[in-house]
Parts: sequence; C-alpha cells; structure tokens
Amino acid sequence: MARVGVFVCFCGANIADYVDVPQVVEEVRRIRDVKYAVEYKYMCSDPGQGLIRDAIVQNKLTSIVVAACSPRMHEKTFRKALSDAGMNPYLLEVANIREHSSWVHQKDKKAATAKAMDLCRMAVAKSIANEQLHEISVPVTKRALVIGGGIAGIQAALDIADARIPVVLVEKSPSIGGKMAQLDETFPTLDCAQCILTPKMVDVASHPYIELIPYAEVLELQGFVGNYKVKIKKKASYVNFKTCTGCGACWQKCPVKVPNEYNMGIDKRKAIYTPFPQAVPNKPVIDAEHCTMLQKGKCGICAKVCLPGAIDYQMQDEIIEREIGAVVVATGYDMWDPTPYEEYGVGRFKDIITSLEFERMVSANGPTNGIPLRPSDGKVPKNVVFIKCVGSRDEAKGIEYCSKICCMYTTKHTILLHHKVHDSHAYVFYMDIRAAGKGYEEFVKKAQVDTGTTYLRGRVSKIYKKGDKLMVRGEDAQIGQVVEVEADLVVLATAVSAPKDNPELARLLGISYDKYGYLSEAHPKLRPVETAKAGIFLAGCTQAPKDIPETVSQASACAAKVCGLFAGDTMKKDPMVSTINNEYCSGCQNCVTVCPYGAIVTDDVPIGHGSKELRTVAKINEGVCQGCGSCVAICRSMAINLAGFTDPQIINEIVSI
Amino acid sequence: MITLGSQGKNTFLDDVNVKSGANVLECYQCGKCVSTCPVSQYMDFPPREIMQMIKLGLRNECYMANSHWFCLTCSACSGRCPREIDIPAVMEAVRHLAIDQNYINDSKKVKEIRKFHEIFLDMIKRYGRNYELRMMAEFNIRTRNLFKDMHLAPKALLKGKIPLGVKPLKSAKAIKRMFAIAEKLEKNK
Repeated sequence: MARVGVFVCFCGANIADYVDVPQVVEEVRRIRDVKYAVEYKYMCSDPGQGLIRDAIVQNKLTSIVVAACSPRMHEKTFRKALSDAGMNPYLLEVANIREHSSWVHQKDKKAATAKAMDLCRMAVAKSIANEQLHEISVPVTKRALVIGGGIAGIQAALDIADARIPVVLVEKSPSIGGKMAQLDETFPTLDCAQCILTPKMVDVASHPYIELIPYAEVLELQGFVGNYKVKIKKKASYVNFKTCTGCGACWQKCPVKVPNEYNMGIDKRKAIYTPFPQAVPNKPVIDAEHCTMLQKGKCGICAKVCLPGAIDYQMQDEIIEREIGAVVVATGYDMWDPTPYEEYGVGRFKDIITSLEFERMVSANGPTNGIPLRPSDGKVPKNVVFIKCVGSRDEAKGIEYCSKICCMYTTKHTILLHHKVHDSHAYVFYMDIRAAGKGYEEFVKKAQVDTGTTYLRGRVSKIYKKGDKLMVRGEDAQIGQVVEVEADLVVLATAVSAPKDNPELARLLGISYDKYGYLSEAHPKLRPVETAKAGIFLAGCTQAPKDIPETVSQASACAAKVCGLFAGDTMKKDPMVSTINNEYCSGCQNCVTVCPYGAIVTDDVPIGHGSKELRTVAKINEGVCQGCGSCVAICRSMAINLAGFTDPQIINEIVSI
Repeated sequence: MITLGSQGKNTFLDDVNVKSGANVLECYQCGKCVSTCPVSQYMDFPPREIMQMIKLGLRNECYMANSHWFCLTCSACSGRCPREIDIPAVMEAVRHLAIDQNYINDSKKVKEIRKFHEIFLDMIKRYGRNYELRMMAEFNIRTRNLFKDMHLAPKALLKGKIPLGVKPLKSAKAIKRMFAIAEKLEKNK
C-alpha cells in the first residue's frame, strides 16, 4: 500500500494569487493513497524542505509529490531533500502548478485551481508506480580533442594541458595561429599580435601534454561524453616532418608561384611552402593542387635540393584514431565576401580592399613591408576612406547581425595608417560606433582626437572613379548633407561570417548550428560554452563574432569545463534511460534509426534459454541515452521502457483524470 | 554636395583651435549643447553642427552661418558639455575669423546684432561701463526702429531698472588706454 505525501507551494503570490492552494490540499487529501498533505509559502526554502524531510520520517511515506514550479527549476532541490531523509530521490514527482496553471490562467482562478488539482492527482497516481532508481556511473577517457588551432584552440589546449590532461589539437592548415597570426597590432592596446601569439604557439608545440596534428581534419566522432572515438584525416604533406629540418632550400628553389593565402593573395608563395616565417610546426607542406611533380610527374626540384631527403611524393592521407572524453570546437570565422556590393565597385576598382588585406599591408611582416600601397599603381595613399558595416547589419546584401569587431579594428586601422603614413587622413563612414569593452571608448577617442580621424555618420551609397581617385559618396547625418570624399584607397570593414564548413562539422559532431552557420550554445546566457551535446564545448568565433579578449576568456572557460568533466574517474548520470525487454524485442531496429543520439546498437542473444542459435535484439548504451523517449514511442512490440516514465506510470496518470 | 579630401590639410580646424584654445576634435556629436542652448532654434546651424562643419573644414559655410552671431556666450553649453569643450570660445573664434577674413553675413538680424556689439563697445569705451538708456536710444536710432520696446520703458524706469544718468568708472581712463592699445594692435596686423 502506497503512502504518498503531497506538498503544495504558494510560491509567494505566484501560485497563491491565482490558485486556491488550501482547496487543492483539501482535494488531494481525499485521494486514497495520500497519507499526508500540506501547503507552505515557499517549499524550496530551507524550512519548506525541512517540512518534507520531517513528514517522510514521521509518516513513513513511500513517495512524494511536490506541487510547485517547473521541475527544471527545483527538481534537484527536492530530490536532495528526499535523499537527506533517507529516501530514494527518484521517488519524487513534481506537479508544475505554476508555469502550467497559475501563470497561464491568471484570469480564471476557478479553472486554474481545478487544473492544479488535476495536475496533483496525476502526479500522485504516477508517483505510486515510481521505482527506486540509481545514478549511472560512466567511465571517462581523460583526453580532450580541440578542433581548430587559432587563438581560441591554442588557449583551450594550453589551459587543459596545463592541468596535465592530454590534448589532441587538430588544425586544418599547415600551421596553427589562425586569423590572429595575420593581424598586425591589436586593439585597444596596440600590442603586436605576433609578439603575443607566437610564444603561445611555441608552447603548444613543446607542451608534453599536447599532441599537435596540423594539416588535418576531423572525419568522424562516435560515442558519448567521456567516451568518444574520433577519426582524424591527416592530409598528405609530402614532407616527412621527422627528417625535415625546416631549412627552406625547397621553397627557395620551387618554380611554381601561387597566390599567398596568408597575405590575402597580395603576393605569391611557392607550391612547397610554410604559411609564414613563425609557423608552428615550421615545416613546409606541398600544395598538391599546384605542384608540377604531383600533377604532371615532372620537376622534382625540391626532392633534389632537400639534403635530409624529407620529400616523399608517394605520401598518402593518413587516418588517425584517438579515444577522447571531451571536445572543444574552435573553428573560428571566415571574412565575408563583399562581392554583392556592386555599387561600391567591388571587383571593378583595384583600390578597394578588404580590412584583412589592409591588415596584411600595414603588418611589418606583410607583402608591402608595413606600408599600405594602392594596388593599382603602388603609390602610398594620402586619403583613405574606411567603410564600416560592409555586410553587417544589412539584410538585403549581407547578414542581419552586428559583427562586433569592425568598429574597433577600423578605429585601429585609422591609427595604424597615421603611424605608417604621417601625412595621411582617414575618413570613416559609420552607422554607430560600438565600443563596449575595456579601454575601447578611450581608444576611439584616441583616433578621433589624437589621430584626427574624420567620422562621417552614414552608409556609403556609391563609389565611382574620377581620374585615379575614387569618389566615395555618403551622407553625413551630423550636418544632414551629402558628402563626397576624394579617396586614394577604400578599405571595406567586411563582416565576420561563420566558417562555411561549420554545418558539415556540426552534423558530424551531432551538435546544432544557427541560421548563419554559427554553432549553438546550450543556453545563450547561463551555458554559453556548452553545446546541447554533453562533452562538446565551444570557444571563439565559431559560436558568434567576438574579439580576442572574449575569445580567450571563452577558451579558458572551455578548459575549466573539460577539467571539471574529468575531475573524477567516472561520471554520474541521471538514471532516466531506456531499457529493453529482450523477451519482447523483435529486432526490427526501428529504434536504432529513430534515436537522435546514436545510443542504440544491436546485439545477438540466444533464441531461448541454453540455445546456441542467436537472434538480433536492440541494446541501449546507458552512457549515451539522454532519455528522450523516441525509441519508446516507435517500438511496435512495446519492448522499451524509459525509467522514470514507464508504461504503468503513464497509464496511472491518464486513468487518474 | 560637399567634397572632402581634395583640399589637403584642414587649416580651418587648426585656425579655430588655435584661436579658441579649445580642441574641436574632442566633440563626439552628442547634441547636449543644442538642447541646452537658449537660442539654438534661431540659428542656421546649431552648435553641434557647427562643430562638425569645423571638423570637415567647411570654412565658408561656417563663416556665413548666423550661429556664431546669435551665440550669447552664456556658456550653458560648455557647462554641460561631457567633453568639456569651450564652445562659446569656438563661436567667438569663428566670429573673429569671419570678420578678419571679410566673410560677413548681411542678413538683417546679423546686422542688428553687429550694431548692438558696436554700440556696447562704444559705451564701455566712453564710460568704462554700460549706460543703458543711451545704449537703448542709440540702438533704436541706428537700427531705424525708434519705438522698439518703448512700451516697456515707463515700467522699467519706475522700477529703477534704467538709471537716467551714468556714473563713469574711476578706472575709465585705464579702459580707454586698453582700447587705444587694442586699436593700435589691430592696425598693425
């Protein structure tokens, strides 16, 4: 005989104002199995919990119903109260009479009260069939995978490795460093990006706990939190990194010239190359697409000049498999392509460049040795117009969102321009100046007052050519007049966009992404670094546009999450998982198809007791199962039950109203 | 349409900054001065727009505007300016530069204001202080509007707001000397 205790909460005025709580308690007392029912102002408070604990002991209760707010809010609180009183915490049921009744039926107290009674009756009926459940322990592989070797990936890898947890860092390109390695100086302190980044890159390469796999991609991820298996494709570099000394003889002699991605195509690199002098690892790779030897079988100069004999034209892609427990995704961002801006003459006028191209030009190790030059005639520009929000905040041609970093990098560009070309003048067309950040507003003031950058509030409508100048037309809303600026060079602050491979990566990892292609966090405010899939975390611009300080903070947060996950030898998990009754299972495998987590596999069991013949049945991996219930619904032979939501529990609920 | 970038360095900005001692570049166009100014609604361009025009080097447009003539130098704007710019000094500088370079707004209002300035200075030169009654009379005669505000005179006289005579300051001589030096400097310029 069940002995149910019911505890109805006022939630201050939240419930009590719209639901007649004493009447609900009175009604609940009439149910046969209810041995104890009481109301209280705040059930979640310490005295409220004390009420539950005392009642359990004094009335020898066998299951508990708390009628209060959503179980998302306080289920854990009340479960703990149960276990404190020596009761299995899963004998608790929460009847949500706040979100499901008082809040949504504020205009009709009578109906709200009636609904609250129904919800309580259902919870009581269900709780009678509740069973004792126990947390599941899952073993953990203490090794983390970091995807992407930009500043986000580097920081996450270093922080995790510093906690003596092995890290596998996978980078798509031949060197780590990412976009930050392309930057000149960084806002708002103007410290040189290379100077602060390269020590970290070197640390990654020399860290005993980091396994760096450059020039590689993640192919497949299987398993579940704490127990993932990853397949990584290491692209053929055609250079044996073990014997290569990085002397550079090969790329000096290579006859093939290819636009240099690192310098945004402003100059050329060779077919065998390292992306930049400070590359980590500082070993060249052969770009198979452009190498004459690999394409036509002729040349072979690099192999001839390589003294250690590190060149291997026969090298094949290699598949590497690793067992890992957690994943940090840090794939960064792409620069938005401004081609749709035809009115700006993008593509027609050579002297219109993007912000990253300008960044490379003003960079000391850039293709023009730090002096910006007009692409058309190689002259040093005097008047430079910077156009902000190219692609950002433009629903017609670009993307709806604000790219967040353009205001600040454009401010920086005007200052850098002034540093490099003293008699130059910078004009900025802007819609707003978004300078929220430590030292950011001061930095904008520095540009406006000390550098004398002219800010014109308006979006540029068109750019046309006049002689060898570009005429940039826009409104200055500050004086309500149309202005035209005679420019030698125009720099477009192009938007930040999601990496184009993100959707594919998201599918492969089993996580979600938004309409722009950014990977989705579990909660925008309270779980900003986790994904909805346990054990997969996000760092940097792959989640949304952000600047370097924010990226580094998020990367360190990811590291903290990974370390937290790996703190024990096993992980605890809710026992609400599916179980399969092999007697009933027909082996149709519909559940295997429908499971969104890949938690169901097949298994062979003897046909009968002691029989040697086998038949196929489904098997649940408790570690992966998230308790969604899809398999329960699809199962034709009713062989699957979800713990905590078993058929008898559900039927009891239905029958009770 | 305004064309920028073709005239080289913005000398107008430098002129105004040197003359006023303020830095117009400090202005971030918040508009607090405009809503503070008691006469901004009568100006061609309110103070914020004048600041932006100086930044863009629009010398002629700025000189020909009536804004700097309308400015009362009451300093309410600079008192509330978040960047602490001395806006009245900027207005004063524009006024001086406009006169120096012979850019004179010849609208009726500005003419009147200029006459008012002249008569006021004349009073100071003569008496070392303002002689209200004479000032008013002269202003009405020279602007050919004899009976302007005349209905206020009896009340103001009765209340003693307009003294009938004037008592020259003891230091009137010193003030005269100041004027002489200033005029000499003006001539030698």
